[in-house]
Formats: sequence, structure tokens, C-alpha cells
Amino acid sequence: MLIKTGIDRLDELLKGGVPFRSNVLIYANPFIGKDILMKKIATAGLENNEGVIFVLTDKSFGELKEEMTKVMPSFTDYESKGMIRYIDVYSPTVELKEKSEWATYVESPVNRERIAYSILQAHKEMEVEKHRLIFDSISTLIVYSDAKAVFRFLQVLSGTCKRMNTTSFFSMTRGMHEEIEVQTIKHLMDGVIELREYEARYQIRVQGCGEAVSRHWIDYLLEENEIRLTGAFRMGRVA
Amino acid sequence: MITTGLKKFDEYLNGGIPKGKSLLFQIEPGMEETDIAFHIMKENAEKVNTIYVSSVSSPKNVYKKMEEFNLEIKEKKFAVVDGYSSLIGAPSEEKYVVEEPHDIGSYEDVIFHALEDMGGDTLIVFDSLSNIMDLCNERTALEGIERINNEISKIGAYILFNFIAWPYKEAVLYKIKRMFNAIIYARKEGSLPLMEIKRVDWNGKIAKFYFKIFKPDGLRIYIPKIIVTGSFKAGKTTFLKSISKKFFPVERLGATTGVEYGIVDYKGYRADVFGIPGREGFAPLLDKFAGSSMGVIIVLDSTDESSIRIAKNLVEKFRNVPRVIVANKQDAINAKSMEEIKRMLFPYNGEIVKASAINGVGTMEAFEILADKILEELNVN
Repeated sequence: MLIKTGIDRLDELLKGGVPFRSNVLIYANPFIGKDILMKKIATAGLENNEGVIFVLTDKSFGELKEEMTKVMPSFTDYESKGMIRYIDVYSPTVELKEKSEWATYVESPVNRERIAYSILQAHKEMEVEKHRLIFDSISTLIVYSDAKAVFRFLQVLSGTCKRMNTTSFFSMTRGMHEEIEVQTIKHLMDGVIELREYEARYQIRVQGCGEAVSRHWIDYLLEENEIRLTGAFRMGRVA
Repeated sequence: MITTGLKKFDEYLNGGIPKGKSLLFQIEPGMEETDIAFHIMKENAEKVNTIYVSSVSSPKNVYKKMEEFNLEIKEKKFAVVDGYSSLIGAPSEEKYVVEEPHDIGSYEDVIFHALEDMGGDTLIVFDSLSNIMDLCNERTALEGIERINNEISKIGAYILFNFIAWPYKEAVLYKIKRMFNAIIYARKEGSLPLMEIKRVDWNGKIAKFYFKIFKPDGLRIYIPKIIVTGSFKAGKTTFLKSISKKFFPVERLGATTGVEYGIVDYKGYRADVFGIPGREGFAPLLDKFAGSSMGVIIVLDSTDESSIRIAKNLVEKFRNVPRVIVANKQDAINAKSMEEIKRMLFPYNGEIVKASAINGVGTMEAFEILADKILEELNVN
């Protein structure tokens, strides 16, 4: 079974979407569409009646909610239906705490144990069959600790997520880590969706993630809340 | 020696944790019950000084947690070694600050400093050995911990570590196994947290038990389901009330169904106890409960022969679970003697406790006997 990313041509590239219960790394430079992609994935999940769990290390859940509502006006409806959970690892470090029955705070990104526990609890509380985990970002976790520790954490977490019928998406920022760290994390994933800026163009590429029409870099345009794949990848059209 | 205050746990530890010993709690990732050390801190707060080495949460959070456990320690008897603030670049208000959280040597310096200030009769608690290993390089960190353990053993202090069992390399886990005087696993079995004492090098026992951590009460050996049953008017309700810390009267599930429920908290045990009538009409309910119960208390009316006969049937019915019989109403003038009751219950040759539930006589004793038996049963295999 495949689930949609919410970006039509990306789903076409993936021959329908990413495999259900897989874990996918979103690896990208800053400010070239990673956030848009993550929001699209969340939207597609909710529209498909999947529960969505956000783990946030770089913004408060209040900020995320505001951003999500902009791209998906019905977002708060899904929230009040209990289909959304936030694990906010950001606010306590900046002493900025807003209350919500849907949000759990973890004091710091160092406390991976608590993050793992909160994700497990969120799964148990939600009364849905399928979930998406949006983890933004593991870069912050690595900065506070090291890649191997995060690797072990993800190893445990990805097992949990598969058991809980969850497709997980982890973001990681290109340029923040050493190559060996990136390889360590990639090794653990079922697939990688990469975004890069190359010769003044934006490009996307999929590795793993089940089947794909093409494994090459594909050009895309970055719009306000949209990623539009413009490069050709249809079989027969590729020169 | 410091203790856990839980009768059986201390027994397994051969009385408690002696001076100079190190103990590792190896905790499965994703478990809620990680505050075992706070229980031991609370239990021994009057006896020893405490140094809490915090590497995954801020000192503020440590104090908050202590409050949740009603754990008050006088200022001079308690110190946090703050390995957290420098890590996230926050200022610290603590006296003992680890300036270089990526350097185990920095931890050692600060801990030895604090130890010198506080003296030998001190309990040191590490909130996360795994985190320190992740930060300081596994091998180097463990070497540092070995030095700390040696010092503890020399000066006769006590040291506890929380260690989250992430999938470390086998070689690392093996090294850890040999580094501590005692190792206790905490993991989930089904939905219940289970503690397994894997090694106690001062003549302790290898054992396991279910547990829960309550705030503010602390750690308890948990027994999820005990049944109290017996004939009509044998005194089940009085018995249940007598042993319960909290009692919830009959919950009407239908005209003929009455289940009572009590929470028992005694000598480190916490048990959920259900009272179910033992007479004919309730047989299906009893059968349903019997399969999943961990033990049964059968209450009989010592003044009533039919009640004793019903007890005899119930004893037979529950032959596969630990049981204890409560010979109630022993204060009544027409009560049969214990010898006579014993004879009437033959061939049952287990425990029969002389009781008067209305006066609270023999009730806790019966509970304790059963709880001990349940733990023995759990540790047979």
C-alpha cells in the first residue's frame, strides 16, 4: 500500500506515493522547500484520515499550528477531532509554554528517552488506524548529542512506528552534518527524498521509497506554499 | 546500608544496598517508569546525603520532580551536579556545574568536589548514564565511570545509575554488565512494567516482579489482580474494606452482579483487589476472573458450616493460583475452632488465617501471606 505525499507530481514520480509504514528521510538545504514538503505530507495524511504526530525541535506547536492553518484551513477541525498530536521539544528550552490538550512537552532535545515515550503515548491515545509521524528535525537532536546516539534512538523509534502502523518522515538539514553522520542516518531509512540547489536550480531526487519512475535529480519550482516539479521524468519523455 | 523500603525488594537485595556498592537500572526505551531512583532517594533522605547528577534535564526540573514525590531534603544534605545547563548553553544557579559536558573528566572533577564537601555517607544518582556515554564517547565515559565507582567503593558511598538500553553494540553492553555490583532491568511485559534483578554481588537474589511508580508514594511491587471471594455474609466486604487504602463499593453491572474493588498498599505491595460473591449465581463471573487473577483470598464464616463447605469448593476451583483462606468471625462465641475448620477443609493444607475482619484482626496478615506467595510463584520459573 502506498500513501501520498500530497505533491501530485512527486506522487507520480513515486508511482503513487511512499510505502505505508516506511520511514523516509527528507534531506534538504535550508529554505528551499523542506518545510513546505513536510506540511504537504501532513495535510495529505489528515485528508487520508491518518492521525498526524508532529515532533518539533525548532518551533513551538503554536507556530506550527498557525502555519498549518494557513495552508489547510480545516486543520483545527482535525485537531479538535483528536487526529493531531504535538510533541513540543522547543518551547520548554525557551520557556514559552502554551497549554493544549493535544501538546506534550519534552524539556530538551537531549532527552531522547522522553521523546520516544511521548511518541508512544501519542500513538496510544489516538483512535485512528494509521498514523504519520512528522519529525522536524533530527538535525537538532544530532547537534545536542551525536549521530550514533540519534541512530540508536531512531532504530528503536522506527521499530515502534512500524508496529503502530505509522509512516514516518524525518527532516535533516544538509550542510549541518558531516558526511559520515548523514550516511549513518540514511542507512536506517527505507527511503530518502532529497532537495538541493544546483546551478541556480532547485532539484529533487528520491532514493529507496519503494518504486520510482526515475532516480535522477528532477527540477522543481519553489512557490509560496507549493513545490512544482517541472523536470521531465515520464518514461518515454526522458531523452 | 540503604534500603528500598519494599519488604520483598529489600529481601532480594539481601537487606538493601551496602556501602560502597554501585547499582545500575537498565531501562527499556519508551518506558514511563523511570523514576526508580527518586524512590530510593526519598526512602533514604534522612539517612544519607544525596548528589543528583543531572545530564538530561535542568536542575529546575529535578526539583520539580522531587516535589512530585513529596521529597524534601534539607539544603546541606542535597546537591545537584548540573551537567545540563552548559550543554544547552543556559546559565546555571547550581554550585556544582559541569562546564564541559562532553568530557567525562569534567563530570569526575565536579562529583569528587561535591563528595568532598558532603562526606562519605552519600548517595549519588546519575539520571542518565546512556546520555553521558553518548556525549563523552562510550569508552572514555565508561572508564570515567569506573574511576567514580572505585572511589565510591573506597569511601563507602552509594551510587545508582539510570541507563536507557538503546541498541548499543554488544561489546559495550557486555562491558557495562561487568562494571556494576548490581544490575536491575526494567522493561515492559505485555502492558505491565517488570523489574528483573539480574545480578547482586552481595548475596542477593535473582528475582522479578511487576512494579509501578506512584506520585507521591513512590515505587511499589504491583499485583494487578487479587480476588476476594467466599459465601454470602462471610464478611468479604468487611475484609476488603479492612485491607484497602481506598475502597470502592459494589459497582452495579446488572441486577445480580456485584463487584467490589479495593486498592491495597502494604509493605511495599500495591494490589488491585476485587471482591466477588462466591455463591452459585456468580460462577460465570468468578470463572472469568479466575483465569487472569494472580491470587485468591477465600473468606469463610467460622460460625457457619455451609460457608466452610463453599470455601472448600472455592479452594478446589482456584487450585491453580496462589490462595489463602481467611477464617473470619473468629471473635464470635459460636465460631468453630481453627483445628475443626482445618479438618473440614481437608485435603486443603495451605494457609488458613485466623481473623476477625470487623476488628481488623488477621486481615493484613492474610494479604501479606498471599502477596508473598504470588511473588514466590512468579519467581519459580
